[in-house]
Amino acid sequence: MKILVTAKRVEDPESKIKVKPDGSGIVQEGLKYKINPFDEIGVEEGLRLVAKHGGEVVVVSIGGKEVQEQLRHALAMGATRAVWVNHTGPLDQMGVAGLLQKVAEKEKPDLVILGKQAIDDDQNQVGQYLAEFLGWGQATFASKVESLESEQEKNKVPALQMGADNKSVRVVREVDNGLATLECALPAVVTTDLRLNLPRYASLPGIMKAKSKPIEELTPAKLSVDVTPKVQVLKMASPPPRKAGIKVPDVATLVDKLRNEAKVV
Amino acid sequence: MTAPASNPLLSDRDVDFQLYEVLDTESLCQLPAFADHSRETFTLFLDSTRRFARDVLLPTYRLMDTEPPSFRDGRIHVHPLMRKLYPQLVELGLLSATHPVEAGGQQLPITVYSLASAYLMAANLSAYGFIGLTTGAAHLIQAFGSPWLKDEFMSRMYRGEWTGTMALTEPQAGSSLADVKTRATPVGDGTYRITGSKIFISGGDQDFTENVVHLTLARIDGAPAGTRGLSLFAVPSRRPEDGRLVDNDVRVAGAIHKIGWKGLPSLALNYGEGGDCRGWLVGEAGKGLAHMFQMMNEARIMVGLNGVATASVAYQEALAYAQNRPQGRPAWEKDAARPQRPIIEHADVRRMLLRQKAIVEGGLSLLAVASWHADVAAHGKTEEERRRAGLLLDLLTPLAKTFPAEKGFEANALAVQVHGGYGYSSEYLPEAYLRDQKLNSIHEGTTGIQGLDLLGRKVMAAGGEAMKAFTEEVGATVERARKAGVEPAWGEALNRALQEVVELTMELGAAGMAGEVERMLRHSADYMELFSVLAVSWRWLVQAAAAREGLARGGEGRDFYEGKLAAAQYWLNTELPRVTHLVALCRSGEDSYTRMRPEWF
Repeated sequence: MKILVTAKRVEDPESKIKVKPDGSGIVQEGLKYKINPFDEIGVEEGLRLVAKHGGEVVVVSIGGKEVQEQLRHALAMGATRAVWVNHTGPLDQMGVAGLLQKVAEKEKPDLVILGKQAIDDDQNQVGQYLAEFLGWGQATFASKVESLESEQEKNKVPALQMGADNKSVRVVREVDNGLATLECALPAVVTTDLRLNLPRYASLPGIMKAKSKPIEELTPAKLSVDVTPKVQVLKMASPPPRKAGIKVPDVATLVDKLRNEAKVV
Repeated sequence: MTAPASNPLLSDRDVDFQLYEVLDTESLCQLPAFADHSRETFTLFLDSTRRFARDVLLPTYRLMDTEPPSFRDGRIHVHPLMRKLYPQLVELGLLSATHPVEAGGQQLPITVYSLASAYLMAANLSAYGFIGLTTGAAHLIQAFGSPWLKDEFMSRMYRGEWTGTMALTEPQAGSSLADVKTRATPVGDGTYRITGSKIFISGGDQDFTENVVHLTLARIDGAPAGTRGLSLFAVPSRRPEDGRLVDNDVRVAGAIHKIGWKGLPSLALNYGEGGDCRGWLVGEAGKGLAHMFQMMNEARIMVGLNGVATASVAYQEALAYAQNRPQGRPAWEKDAARPQRPIIEHADVRRMLLRQKAIVEGGLSLLAVASWHADVAAHGKTEEERRRAGLLLDLLTPLAKTFPAEKGFEANALAVQVHGGYGYSSEYLPEAYLRDQKLNSIHEGTTGIQGLDLLGRKVMAAGGEAMKAFTEEVGATVERARKAGVEPAWGEALNRALQEVVELTMELGAAGMAGEVERMLRHSADYMELFSVLAVSWRWLVQAAAAREGLARGGEGRDFYEGKLAAAQYWLNTELPRVTHLVALCRSGEDSYTRMRPEWF
């Protein structure tokens, strides 16, 4: 089977992220970047599925030349080859989904796995748009369940399990009131949640092998996608700093403040 | 998304700074041996190791510290976590990372490997210890072993199926290896029957792989006394026979109850109690110590890295504590109702932190440059380049081993101090790091041995050529600092101190030549100390230069460079002046402890 997985380049949450004084974006200088952690979970899940069912993981990223670093990271983890959509201008979620749609139509994967969201803007939209654009089934927020080893567990299913004929996928999702299990005909779109797996650490032999794995370059023009954003970013700003808390002498005062100042009870 | 802030082990920013701003590690890729590498492969490898160290190894550290291996039914049972950790460490590709592709390695520069492995050591030095010992032992077979040994032993060690040890020390022969008594008797089929006892054998037994190979120093029957009679043998705990493993009569006689490195067993081993212990000669008979020495330089660099790593993890612990622990108010604050301030706001706490920073980052820089010379010594373009780098590596090795061990211990004590009363409790980690650190001044050649090696051998090597090369390196740094706009007084002070050390070295060398060996070596400990201070001052001047260059490029990250300049100022103003005093002491003829008689104590 073939699995297409996304690898978005995002700011490392451990670097200090500052908004530019004019609000036009964030200060790029001195920042570190990494593969979106949810996408990394997707790469891992793809690798585990092909280890079981055979096939290949193709990894895709959109951006300037620098996104090749994230593609190499996924290749070092074990992906077979990479697709790089070379685009440096602004891009909204529909633009991303449009580009991924064309890549998917070209690659014809059985499954597309994306992070449920990217940790830079936390939008949580691309997977859903992509499924709609492709007209495929979708199972978002795929999460983890216990193994099938004991009798008791046999009725449960692992988070992502291919149907016996490899024509469907069963996904356990994290939802507000617990877990929901979906079965989806292939091809399908799956987005990963945090607890799906623990991604492997790229090994040195894997890193060296990744050097010779191919990265195919595409562009929005080659894919005939108009990526003119429909969403316009007006301004970026840091959230206002939290005010210091106060101590109240007793419960009565607390209730009074909650009712009359905060107006929450 | 990310776990709550935990100890970063080492500063990532500093590691990048050492690799790409102080040194130009990317330029190593121009050497044919490293042509397959690039900054990208370095970054990916560093990312994997530092994440693994933080996410997987660090959480296991305290568990392995509090539950040391047990000795039951004649076998050592290490912490059960090792069963999971060892294969994962192997999987990262650590065992043969720096070795040639033909030997299954990836030809990673030692410079990159050193800094990456420092994270693993800082996170859990015992777990990493099994890797370090195995790779060292396997490397000995790779360098000197027969094709059969490479197939049967080395390849299994590199694949992580077996582990390895260095078995040199005996109860009566530690620092004095000339007194090794373990015997090797030819059996007639090319193997030897080994009998004897070894002690302090780290990793001498474990229960997470099926076998352990001990690279053992022993004396073949009839060989002369002293170090010339020593040969090197590969002695497995279980030997291959008719396609299976059988017991090779290597018995654990007991486990040492250590105060640190508790996850790594240190054992007394008896060979051939039942007369059935076989060993395979590695390399040439009578060349055992010479062969071992090739690996000992590697091992000494590794001990130095351990020293830096152990000081670093404690420094990071102290730094976070000082930023968060409120206690007291500024001396000029009279209002006791004002909230208490984090202790990092007290100047004396910042003094302790800055001293730790100066030791940790100065030490890391020393290890990085020593590793750099190891890479050039092995793979430099010309014979001359390789030779010069080899001399510098030899000269720097005792310093790179000793400075982090001795000053690292001081840094570790300061980390306890910053924690106050809590630091003196086992609820907090710095006490454990202090215990761990102490071993580094003892194993792989004590500080005393390193001092004798530096003064008696290294600085005098090749008719003073090593010293000349070191002088040139310092000169180039002073010039770089001048161009970068570093405070000129710092470079001048370094030059003056270097001059003093060069003159002292010539004097002591002349004394040695004139047969006054006692006078030459009397202050070898002081000489080691002053040369360490000098070498680390050199590393601080080069860091100051790189920081100035960084500031001149402008942009973000000023704080990092300002911190570097403050630490450089601290070291060059408070430590470098001690060189003059120590030089005077070495010259003075001060002889209290040489004159002191045992019965006067």
